[in-house]
Amino acid sequence: MQKSILSAAIVAGALAMSSGANASECGEISMADMNWPSATLMANVDKIILEAGYGCEIEMVGGATTTTFASMDNKGEPDVAAELWINAVREPLFAAMDEGRLHSARSGPITDLGEGWWLPPYTVAAHPELKTVLDILERPDLFPDKEDPSRGAFIGCPAGWGCQLSNQSLFIAFGMEAKGWNLIDPGSQAGLDGTIIKANERGENWFGYYWAPTSMIGKYNLQMMPFGVPFAGAENWDGCVAKGPEACTDPKPSSWTPSEVHTVVTDRFKNVAGPAMGYFDKRIWPGGVMGAMLVYMDSEQADGPDAAAHFMEAHEDLWMQWVPAEIAAKVKAAL
Amino acid sequence: MSFFTKFPAMGRTDLRDFKKGIDGKFKEFSREWGEGIEAFFDPLYYFLNWFEKLLNATPWPIIILIVGALAYLGSRSWKLSVGAMVSFLLIGYLGMWKNTMSTVALISVSTLLCIVLGIPLGIWMSRSDRVQKIITPILDIMQTIPIFVYLLPVVMLLGIGKIPGLIAVCVYAMPPIIRLTNLGLRLVNKDVLEAADSFGANYRQRLFSVQFPLALPNIFAGVNQTIMMALAMVVIASMIGVKGLGMPVLQSIQNQYLALGLMNGLAIVALAIIFDRVSQQYGKRLQRHREGGHDA
Repeated sequence: MQKSILSAAIVAGALAMSSGANASECGEISMADMNWPSATLMANVDKIILEAGYGCEIEMVGGATTTTFASMDNKGEPDVAAELWINAVREPLFAAMDEGRLHSARSGPITDLGEGWWLPPYTVAAHPELKTVLDILERPDLFPDKEDPSRGAFIGCPAGWGCQLSNQSLFIAFGMEAKGWNLIDPGSQAGLDGTIIKANERGENWFGYYWAPTSMIGKYNLQMMPFGVPFAGAENWDGCVAKGPEACTDPKPSSWTPSEVHTVVTDRFKNVAGPAMGYFDKRIWPGGVMGAMLVYMDSEQADGPDAAAHFMEAHEDLWMQWVPAEIAAKVKAAL
Repeated sequence: MSFFTKFPAMGRTDLRDFKKGIDGKFKEFSREWGEGIEAFFDPLYYFLNWFEKLLNATPWPIIILIVGALAYLGSRSWKLSVGAMVSFLLIGYLGMWKNTMSTVALISVSTLLCIVLGIPLGIWMSRSDRVQKIITPILDIMQTIPIFVYLLPVVMLLGIGKIPGLIAVCVYAMPPIIRLTNLGLRLVNKDVLEAADSFGANYRQRLFSVQFPLALPNIFAGVNQTIMMALAMVVIASMIGVKGLGMPVLQSIQNQYLALGLMNGLAIVALAIIFDRVSQQYGKRLQRHREGGHDA
């Protein structure tokens, strides 16, 4: 008995030493600093914890969903994408995961998130008859397009984003052209946000695509509208809607595919930074905390590193649960 | 000692309140004046929309003929005229006709606007050193400030689409025409002006019959630069929802569609070369014509 306790202690000591050795070997890691607030916040929090707690050297690399994924898939860089929305890259991602080049370190790192079609709250209040997207589609007259006032404006997703193709497909699937709608490409996130801000400041109706968790949704209290049709199956969505009208001409009407977000890492990261994989596994942001942080970032005009510093201070109880006690102590000392 | 090692910056909270204050004021301004400012630009907007619809509604052979005729009228060169028509045929054949028409509409109207505003400003600048001292730094700002810094307020004020696009293009493309008009007029030989004065030329005669013709090479270089810079802004303009050749370029950058990006990029280049050669040849022709007059 005595002996087994002793050997257990030795094993535990060896384990601790080896994890210590691993920690110092974590080395240089490149991490995607995606160009939207929740992702840059997560990436910066990860940076603080991985650097202080696991001894990694983190280099941030700017990116967006499709470009970052393509780079990870083809070149193995960056090593970590904290918040990868996989709907747009599902097939190549799963292929890469089957081949063992990429790994999902955590599925659903943020809870309560999703994409869809939204209305401002005052439009919902003024037109209680608009219960679903199907109801809205009958009323293009409420959302006149400035360039063509006889038709309605549906604000889609900026050119080049993964969601652009899905919105184009749904535009066709719901027969919106014939119902008197124009699909407006806002060109960039600044353009998309600008339309929402302008509509809200003036109390104009607005109908378009957006996603949560975002400070725009929190700030303007936009309401996600149910589509009024069920989700028409993964085959329709992944095989057709997400591929866009050029690849697939007969998409079926469907509600938006349930969003799947993963923290994706490269095989290299898994090998060199093994213990940090355990961190990602525990690191789950409740939607409410994320929403509050996003409104904080917006109202205080905090960038990623600022907001991450604030988060480490204000939500200690949350991140303490993500890491073992001794690492938590190291991180706390480094703050 | 820490005074020297750490910059005495404004406190974090003060700075934040300062920034928030400016943002708040701008939002108030936008709420108060946004609709009025939008209405102010409406005539320009309707003209631009009308012009784009006209280009799109005109049968393509007529557009091609007009392109060829304009190129010939400008340059008096068959080679250039045929080259322009062939590039437009190619653009149409590769499925970029509609986007090209949108871009041509935006570029023509914005270049026209830049010239109509820019040349008088350049003349004013050349007449007064004080005006030059005030306008030059403004032109420096217009040419170097990162575009999204002023695009976001413009979008909040006017929404997305053609008018914010037009403003973005003109802010960037107008400085060369102002600068070179000013420069050209200032470079006119003082002796020539003295001669004009001694013949009793009044201000208007001196400006339009002596200074302006002599400054023409520089002014045309300015027009030319303005057109080039306007075309360079096509992709940026599409980032605030302007339809045209920029949209597919944007899409291809994000999705690595090499062919799509290259085709639309080259269509922008083709437009640039046509506009450039024709306007340069036209400028040169004006010069030659005048020189010939002197010799005779």
